[in-house]
Amino acid sequence: MNYIDLTEKLVKKCLRIGADAAEVYLETTRNLSVQVLKAEIETIEEASSQGVGFRVFVDNKMGFSHCNDFTDRALEDTISRAVAFAKLSSPDENNVLTDDMGITKIDELYDPGIVSVPMDNKIKMALELESLALGVEGITKSSGAGYGEGESEIFIGNSNGIMKSYKSSGCYLGVYVVAEKGNQKNTGGETCSRVFFSDLMSIEEIAERATKKALELLDPVMIETQKAAIIFDPAVARSLLGGVITAINGERVLQGASFLKDYLNKQFASPLLTLIDDGTRIKSLGSSPFDGEGVPTKRNVLVENGVLKSFIYNTKAAARAGVVSTGNASRSGFTALPGIGVHNVSLATGNHSQSEIIAGTAKGLFLKEVTGYGIDAVSGNFSGGASGLWIVNGEIIHPVKGVTIAGRAFEILNGIDMMGNDIDLNRRFAAPAFRVAEMQIGGK
Amino acid sequence: MSMEKHYVRDIPRRKFIELSMKGGLLIAATPALMTQLISCRNGARSAPGLDMDKEILAGIIAKALEKGGDFADVYLENRISRQIVMEESKFKSGLYGISQGAGVRVVSGNKTGYAYTDEITEEKLIRAAEVASYVATNGSRSEPVNISEATRPSYITVEQPLGEIADEKRIEVIARADQAAKDYDQRIKMTMVDYYDEVRSRVIVNSEGIYLRDELPLLFFIVQAMSDNGKTRHMARERLSNHSGFEMFENVTPETIAENAAREAVVMLAAGDAPAGIMDVVMQNGWGGVLVHEAVGHPLEADNIAKGIGAFTGKMSQKVATDCFTMVDDGTLPNFRGTVNFDDEGTPAQRNVLIENGVLKGFMTDILSARQLSMERTGNGRRESFRYIPIPRMTNTFIETGKDNPEDILASTKKGIYVQSLSGGSVNPITGVFNFTCREAYLIENGKKTKPVKGATLIGSCMDVISNIDAVGNDLAFGPGICGKGQAAEVTAGQPTVRIRGINVGGTKA
Repeated sequence: MNYIDLTEKLVKKCLRIGADAAEVYLETTRNLSVQVLKAEIETIEEASSQGVGFRVFVDNKMGFSHCNDFTDRALEDTISRAVAFAKLSSPDENNVLTDDMGITKIDELYDPGIVSVPMDNKIKMALELESLALGVEGITKSSGAGYGEGESEIFIGNSNGIMKSYKSSGCYLGVYVVAEKGNQKNTGGETCSRVFFSDLMSIEEIAERATKKALELLDPVMIETQKAAIIFDPAVARSLLGGVITAINGERVLQGASFLKDYLNKQFASPLLTLIDDGTRIKSLGSSPFDGEGVPTKRNVLVENGVLKSFIYNTKAAARAGVVSTGNASRSGFTALPGIGVHNVSLATGNHSQSEIIAGTAKGLFLKEVTGYGIDAVSGNFSGGASGLWIVNGEIIHPVKGVTIAGRAFEILNGIDMMGNDIDLNRRFAAPAFRVAEMQIGGK
Repeated sequence: MSMEKHYVRDIPRRKFIELSMKGGLLIAATPALMTQLISCRNGARSAPGLDMDKEILAGIIAKALEKGGDFADVYLENRISRQIVMEESKFKSGLYGISQGAGVRVVSGNKTGYAYTDEITEEKLIRAAEVASYVATNGSRSEPVNISEATRPSYITVEQPLGEIADEKRIEVIARADQAAKDYDQRIKMTMVDYYDEVRSRVIVNSEGIYLRDELPLLFFIVQAMSDNGKTRHMARERLSNHSGFEMFENVTPETIAENAAREAVVMLAAGDAPAGIMDVVMQNGWGGVLVHEAVGHPLEADNIAKGIGAFTGKMSQKVATDCFTMVDDGTLPNFRGTVNFDDEGTPAQRNVLIENGVLKGFMTDILSARQLSMERTGNGRRESFRYIPIPRMTNTFIETGKDNPEDILASTKKGIYVQSLSGGSVNPITGVFNFTCREAYLIENGKKTKPVKGATLIGSCMDVISNIDAVGNDLAFGPGICGKGQAAEVTAGQPTVRIRGINVGGTKA
């Protein structure tokens, strides 16, 4: 089936059925996953599917419906449902669709080779990964290893004449293991996700990372309730900065539901903090030539040297704020309305190696795991459960588990006083290690 | 891929929107036909897409087991959903969806093969059966499968079927909630109201010969109220959810929900810094049961036990908690959000006592883990939709009511934290280490609830917490939530007022 033709035809059909303006979002996907446990297959799942979502406007009111039956009758009835449902909504002059014809050229978002790797090789890879991880001294059990892949093609058309499409792929390989010692039990896992199959990390490297996480927190010592420095491992940077991303969501800002709502072009964090969202990075799972409603993606500097430079917007929120979309309409599939989200977030690197940061810390926690919801984007409070390695006089002396850490967002973000120089840009949320001068730790 | 984190929360808005738009198919239906489709009175047959002939279904099961295998099932599903969102007192959008599809599963030893299709045709299901049978290698199994209709009791009653409710009535309850929240206090600056309803029809057929068909209506109503006094803000949330008809809003009015949210939002404006460190915690009755849902419930799901890695592995019939602690999972509570009639594998729902007076009595199983552990099936094999395989899940999970007077529990606690409501939390089911976040909490000073404190995280390990519960009230209550374990499930969590000695609190004040 020619989906470009179908998408264009459906836009016209929406207008004929009664919409003043309409957007058609069509998606086809294929997924495969394999889980292995104790050297045998645990589950194999496979499916391909397709679907289409209709966003229609009637007198500036919005309605939405979706379906995956591509017969004429079904599509027409689905559109009628969206048109009828639009009439329930309140009119909003900001209910507009993009007319930006641009497409950002990004190479290598699709690997045609994934599908041609034989199934048995993929299963073998997961089995070998599990076996390798289980072979590490101190690792006692497997919680399973897995391989998965998916590919999708997205088509967006709207009544402003836009018709865009792109194809993307992704695959992952990961393992979770358990380390036991006496009555102690600790888990560790690592998953590597890439656009290209050939870019997956070696099974040796994945196994090494997973097992290290399970082993490094054995024999913890409880620490006193106190204030101390906190060094964020790159893997847990998101626990702190995720709340900042939510707080710069342009719609939440307009609603007053953000602790950063009054800080545009103002210093709110340490000069060491520069935060970038880049939807154009090649070979990246967060990249796309256009966002969830067809606006070309860009590289946006969100925070520069601690100054808030930009909120993030989709077309509707941008219209309300009187600015242009930043290309941050997110979409979790054909069943969903466009929201607001980021593509690939990264922190600018600083001057210090990880070992220099540790060596320069008189007393602190090298944070390896954080639980909880991170910074509350409305109030700016942060509280979480924490595990990591305890540092005294620049040296790691023992693991710590079962403590809490807490603080207020402004104090934490202004307290960043050392920024690492090492970053893995394959993460969708990439950061070097960095240090916050002081946070409250809850212990014994 | 995340294999180790299980969470539950009181339905954050984003997740709610995601869940309410689960993928699928809007089938051909005129508005008139739609009324019939959504009707669920007296078990009237709806969702004609599920009307597949039993002989054809038996043929698909036979195909699935052609290469061998111990068990196979076919699951057909049709879900009709409506969602209406109000933000800032405006009806932001109306969403409508029908999601339809089917999955075929083959179990061979410990292996599971699964494939699904969103077209319910014999051809597509035969192809799914072939894909799913990839795991079967133990030779052919040719005995034909006889499929016959099975019966199960129902715990869900409907007085006002969702299909007979005009959209204007839906609009009305949303507008009433919005108004009530704004009228509560001038410091309420914004409200968000999410209304969602669905009817899920399902057909379950398996190689043991059962054929089951039913439909579950579900209503879900969330009010968020944001307060702002110029210095600080608090976003409060209150929810109501049942498997029932629209009469839910007569039993608990939209105003009640909205006022509860607004009350929390205003009270928490005065919140001070929470203390940090290990202290006693009194948890008010209701949704606080999320603590045991996370800390004890997930580790008692039998999949990790069958793998030999769960926190309670090898502890059956042993004393694991204090004498006053009894914990139950019950899928039969009338109209509750977690109630299932029968699970998504066809096993009848039942009351399962998990821990009785401190002694471990049972795990929650699905068909696969029950077989692996040689245990009974408990009716806990659930799935988010046809896109997922069934796995052991909780339903309505709670600490059984105790003997203590709630006022006495507070009065006898000298110092600590009084937790009135929680957002939610997560657990590592292998180690049993959990965390959860307070939404409304107070200091306890000399046996009295005093100042409100900001949202702090509470952490601990499951074995410690159930050994340290030393008072259980006589005031059991429940709250609705979404539980995530790679896939979502609707649940309730419940508890009477309880006291836990020594939990680590993540506050900002030493």
